[in-house]
Amino acid sequence: MTVEAERIDMFFEGIKKLPEMAQPVEMSDAERLHQVKTTFLAKLTRNMAVDLESCVHCGQCAEACHYYNATQDPKYTPIRKVELLKRVYQRELSPTRFLRRLWTRDITCDEIHEWIELVYDSCTECGRCFMVCPMGINIPAMVNVNRQAFANAGLIPVELRAMEQEQYAGNTLFGIGPEQTEAALRQIGEQMGVEVPINKEKADVLLLTSVVEVMVFTDQIASAIKVLNHLKLNWTLHMDGFEAANFGMLSGFEPLQKRAGDRVVKTAKKIGAKTILVPECGHAFPSLRWDQANVDEQSFPFEVLTMAELMARELRNGNLRVKPGVKGKSVTFHDPCKIGRHSGVFEEPRAMIKALGAEFREAESSQAVNWCCGGGAGVFLLNSAADLRQGAWQIKQAQIDATGADEVVLSCASCRLNFERGARNNHWDKPIDSLLSMVAENLDE
Amino acid sequence: MTLLDFARGPGMQWSLIILIVGILWRVVGTLLLSAEKDYSQARQGGTGPGIRAVFRRFWPHPEFVKPTLFHMVGGYTLHIGLFVVIFLFAPHILWFADLLGLPVWANLPNNIIMLAGALTAASLVAFVLRRMTHPVMRRISGFDDYASNIVTLLPVVTGMLAFAHTPIARYETLLALHLLSVELLFVWIPLSKLAHALFFIPSRYQLGAAFGRRGVKV
Repeated sequence: MTVEAERIDMFFEGIKKLPEMAQPVEMSDAERLHQVKTTFLAKLTRNMAVDLESCVHCGQCAEACHYYNATQDPKYTPIRKVELLKRVYQRELSPTRFLRRLWTRDITCDEIHEWIELVYDSCTECGRCFMVCPMGINIPAMVNVNRQAFANAGLIPVELRAMEQEQYAGNTLFGIGPEQTEAALRQIGEQMGVEVPINKEKADVLLLTSVVEVMVFTDQIASAIKVLNHLKLNWTLHMDGFEAANFGMLSGFEPLQKRAGDRVVKTAKKIGAKTILVPECGHAFPSLRWDQANVDEQSFPFEVLTMAELMARELRNGNLRVKPGVKGKSVTFHDPCKIGRHSGVFEEPRAMIKALGAEFREAESSQAVNWCCGGGAGVFLLNSAADLRQGAWQIKQAQIDATGADEVVLSCASCRLNFERGARNNHWDKPIDSLLSMVAENLDE
Repeated sequence: MTLLDFARGPGMQWSLIILIVGILWRVVGTLLLSAEKDYSQARQGGTGPGIRAVFRRFWPHPEFVKPTLFHMVGGYTLHIGLFVVIFLFAPHILWFADLLGLPVWANLPNNIIMLAGALTAASLVAFVLRRMTHPVMRRISGFDDYASNIVTLLPVVTGMLAFAHTPIARYETLLALHLLSVELLFVWIPLSKLAHALFFIPSRYQLGAAFGRRGVKV
């Protein structure tokens, strides 16, 4: 067994123990119901109201959902996942609420408990549903409001709650904080024979890392170091703001979403960074690229890039030189939902794979309509979602297999974990690689 | 006052007032809700992609043509059929022209109108049946969904019965029932999901604009 395989096993074992770490949130059912309703009402924007008003209950969104497709269970129809929000809107906020109350039931505490599975376990907020909706309804945005409401009601699933509580209280995840991360970075640097620029007072580029990289995919960290040194950029990893993962965003607990994002933003401002470089982490990118400015209600004086965007840009500029080291191999790419469909990064990873000489094989249903791997938005952590995840994985595996590619390349550590888990469950022997690692291995020094 | 007099007079007047005031109330009331300002750095402007999304969504993404075929065929039959019956039937044109002070426009032959009416009614019945039998649609359907289908179906059916002078009742009675069913539709539109006829435009636009500024074609 390789070191990486051992680490993956250890990580999965760690996930199983998360429920023991979560602190209970004491609250009466009446208070939970009140919290859910008040959060819904506070978060219902004009855009959401327009979306809810335009829905005709056609149910076509089910056809796009990996969990519905995997189970054929209509309870997983995406628009149904926001049913409670819709009813509160219709009864309390809609301009015709005084009449709609006559035929719209109020939400109940039992329903809230029933909906935990629908807004956490069975939705990765992947957004495939808004690609099929004839009205263009943004269901993931409303599922996210559900998560925020459930977080305020103390109803975050135990695994996500354990992570949220740990990150909020002490800036650690799985016990990994600044000290442990710095030690890991120094160890990686020693193995590479380079000095990792940690805690520089001024730098143009602030590189982030994630707990999954530190614990499991250290190759991604080493590869980032290699690529940034190759580009001769003035960069640093700073222990005041190094963690890209944001369990506030994933769980819906907004105070943590702001706190975790602000740690990075403040660090970037302090060191005068022009660029925040997000590691291969799906949710971390939109969290910092799109959401944090809105959480803070201000525009930022820096850009936020994925590694794929930086590499493709520097390849075009002639600063990144790569060898065609993957020539003779066929490769396909899995678009992480939050980086692809939610953020528009499609061409860059493909440009990099082609630059390495690989025969690129585009999967059917790729890019903006790519199938989610089934593990996004924190679902990869939920023990209760194991069957749903495995069902979704079957779709993903079939999609990759249909390309006939020798290898599948990813640019998201959560997807990578989910792929590894699916591969183990199904004894799938397709090589799974990180885009960043593949590029780093083929730098033309 | 006969039933027909009522339907032609105060019934029509009040239902039109409710339709117009109700639609304005609902649309303005919705648009007055607080909007989000987006502080993130856009890759590009959102207006163009937003407008494109309004038109692009008239046809599904190639990925979804097959799984949504029923809705595509049924939806287009229903909406085109309604348009033809409402706006291209000679008596309706005269009614609109009189109401709005417009010159009359060209009408379609009555047999085509009857065919369009039959197809419209058939598609509405098909949607009701599917809503009752398809596991997904049955699960997500409520009073509004069934009521809206039936309230839309009634004027089509009563109109066809009246036009055909069906001997189940006097013509005047059938015409009055047709007008009353239209008035019920007018009253129901601002209260129900039938208002999607207006909301689909901003709904599509805002998704196209939000993701367009992120560089994603939706």
